[in-house]
Amino acid sequence: MTKQTLTAALCIALSLAVNSASAVEEGDPAPDFSLPSIYSDRPDVTFEGLAGKTVYVDFWASWCAPCLTSLPLYNDMYNKYKDQGLEIVAINVDNPVEDGLDFLLDTPLDFLIPSDPDGEMATQFNVIGMPSSYLISPDGEVKLVHMGFRPSDMEMIEAAIVEHLPE
Amino acid sequence: MKSKHSRSLIAISTSALALPGIAQADAPPTAPTLSYKISNYQEDDLTREQVPFGELGRYDIDVHQFQYVAPLGRDFALFIDANHEDMSGASPWFSTANAAGEPVINMSGASGIRDERSELSIGTRYYSQNGNFGGAVGYSEENDYRATYANLSGSRNFNNDLTTVTLGFSHSADDIFPTDAELFNRVQNEDKRATSLAVSLSQVINRVATFQTALSITEQSGFLSDPYKLQDSRPDNKTQIAFSNSLRYFFIEADGALQANYRYYHDDFGISSHTLDLSWFQNINRSFQVAPMLRYYSQSAADFYTNIDDFLKPLTEPQSSDYRLSAFGAFSGGINLIADFGDWTATLTAERYVANEKYSVYAVNQPSPALVQFVRLSLGVDYSF
Amino acid sequence: MGIIRLTVLALIALTALTSCTQVRPWERGYLAREEMAWDSDVLERQLNDHIFFSKEASSGGNSAAGGGCGCN
Repeated sequence: MTKQTLTAALCIALSLAVNSASAVEEGDPAPDFSLPSIYSDRPDVTFEGLAGKTVYVDFWASWCAPCLTSLPLYNDMYNKYKDQGLEIVAINVDNPVEDGLDFLLDTPLDFLIPSDPDGEMATQFNVIGMPSSYLISPDGEVKLVHMGFRPSDMEMIEAAIVEHLPE
Repeated sequence: MKSKHSRSLIAISTSALALPGIAQADAPPTAPTLSYKISNYQEDDLTREQVPFGELGRYDIDVHQFQYVAPLGRDFALFIDANHEDMSGASPWFSTANAAGEPVINMSGASGIRDERSELSIGTRYYSQNGNFGGAVGYSEENDYRATYANLSGSRNFNNDLTTVTLGFSHSADDIFPTDAELFNRVQNEDKRATSLAVSLSQVINRVATFQTALSITEQSGFLSDPYKLQDSRPDNKTQIAFSNSLRYFFIEADGALQANYRYYHDDFGISSHTLDLSWFQNINRSFQVAPMLRYYSQSAADFYTNIDDFLKPLTEPQSSDYRLSAFGAFSGGINLIADFGDWTATLTAERYVANEKYSVYAVNQPSPALVQFVRLSLGVDYSF
Repeated sequence: MGIIRLTVLALIALTALTSCTQVRPWERGYLAREEMAWDSDVLERQLNDHIFFSKEASSGGNSAAGGGCGCN
């Protein structure tokens, strides 16, 4: 009994340690990433390839209702600021990937959509809730971490993006 | 089947975070939903062997259920439930012995019983990032019974939303005023109270499995007898304990989910029971699901159950020949067909229930001659705005 | 009593499971499915509770109770 309790306590401590160790926070350098596009006929999406741009990274899945609410709003924002250097990278974590593609069939999106079915990038960013998004300035620093989504959040997100658009 | 709206755009999402699995109820609804379900269930006729004289037909019941669920502002949800039930038929009145000493049933009035029940309940719930809290009040009326009730419950998620603890409380105050009370020397106006406390713990086990364990305690007091039975006298206090365990397991290869629930029950009338129900939800494609289900139930008899009424026994001593207090077992099997057409969902259900003392896992000293068999058919429709 | 011992055992087992499993937020797609919910069809569950309440002696479980009826 005591042994079990001890093991349990150890496990909890361990999981807490693992969870807090690598969380990406504001002010951190953005993790490097390279992922295949969800569309088999499009090139891979790499962080290097986006050098000099303001990058908004968003983790989403088709089973996450607030994610699906956010994507069309992000699409409008992308079209508004893409000429000023904004890139949106909406990383899909659906597994099977078809579930994500199925949503995109009904809701076409103009920005980059890499696929991360095994959660490699989600692990790197240590995503703690769905959806999670990260605003990365052109010099590669995380400026904003946003978890969850309500349509009213767009105002704040847009303001942060505008503030960090490339000169 | 995917959650509703997973493939269509949701205009307003009030939930900030997706907390699925254990915490699935932890987001207010994304859109208003109106549900309606119509059901009919018919109890099998009794045989001449069981009922030497009079009516053989038992209950035939139609049930209409309405539910409206809607988001209320950013963090609240509104729930409105309305039910209507039409009952007709007859039920066992008293039990005697035939020439061979076997118990036989005498049914209530030749003209049968007609009753209606209407129920309305309204509730609200607040959702936060790590839990929810809400309650409801309700009212149910029949021509001989009235219930007023309220419940409160709250949930909290822990451990990266992998663990949820829920606490619930409910109270019901009921009035009983039997029809033809003077004619049949029945009680005229009695009341009954029931208070329940429930606690449950849900845990995500892995990416395809969740488990829930729950304990509920109910205290009933007041008039707990059946006013329509000739010789029915039960204690005026009852404590009930139910211990439930539920598992949900998704089989990726089979593209289906198993729902398994087991409940152990005990009360101080002396009744214990086991209930096991299993459902398999098979996804056929993105729009169709077939879900067969199987349920097994068995209970022991109440301490004061008798299958032949003893009219010489004073009513101050507990006694009842109600088949629901006898030892028996019951199997039921059914099938659900679920179709999802975007904003519409339709569910068709057929179920067969057979109770028999032979199915009991508990000792049956006095089998009841009045055990029930029934067939149920339901059609449900949901519409999300 | 048997129930209490069972509950305690279940709680210990759950605690052990809790602490050593991590289902990360992006891995909860299957858990989010409707058929994995505790109450995947509310009206069906309410109807069943009501029917079995009127045919059997047992009641109670993991959800808040409604009112009584003259059916039991």
